[in-house]
Amino acid sequence: MMNDADLRVRRATYRLFVELGRAPTVDETSNALDAPAADIGAAWHRLHDEHALVLQRSATEIRMANPFSAVPTAYRVNADDRWWYANCAWDAFGICAALGAHGTVESSCADCGEPLTVHVAGQRPIDDELLFHCLVPASAWWDDIVFT
Amino acid sequence: MNLFRSEEHIERWLGGRPPGATIGAGTLSELAHAWWSDRLAADWQPRTRDENQAILDAVGLTGRFWQLPRGSSRRGETSTGVL
Repeated sequence: MMNDADLRVRRATYRLFVELGRAPTVDETSNALDAPAADIGAAWHRLHDEHALVLQRSATEIRMANPFSAVPTAYRVNADDRWWYANCAWDAFGICAALGAHGTVESSCADCGEPLTVHVAGQRPIDDELLFHCLVPASAWWDDIVFT
Repeated sequence: MNLFRSEEHIERWLGGRPPGATIGAGTLSELAHAWWSDRLAADWQPRTRDENQAILDAVGLTGRFWQLPRGSSRRGETSTGVL
């Protein structure tokens, strides 16, 4: 269960992600909260265990602050005057939602590789003829969240 | 969780694997806004499993495929998945 201190770290992490346009480091989050870096790292690991963010497998670094991805992916989103990476198609629309902004999703058909561009305005895609396929059932999304 | 041009492309991409679930981009965007719009709120709190399930239900994503794993429904007990 997330305690208030961990929630504070989580909120600061997300705030910094949006301010910086990338994932903050432990030190940047530590400085922002005026808290020891070791405490931030420990909080991130607890938040990872609670699925409130996702860390890299072998380092105390952010991999996902869903819907944002800290690493390049096949889903790029332009929203709020900046380019972002999303973890998947769902998250790509989620970035527009989280930022409360219109946006443009750029990706490609997972089958043929043809470029796909979707403009989102007023929470709706301008072109809604594209299809979204979710291979993994909801009960197993977190079995391997990177694959999901 | 990928985008495709058409059902034909999904079928070819699956290559014989069992399909998951397919929805239109409009429904996906509706789901995304219901799911993620609070994520940067200063007072953000993790949702319970049942609250997440209610979002899926509200956009018509019902049935076994969309059933989140059962776990604690206490707020903050998020091992069943904040996503």
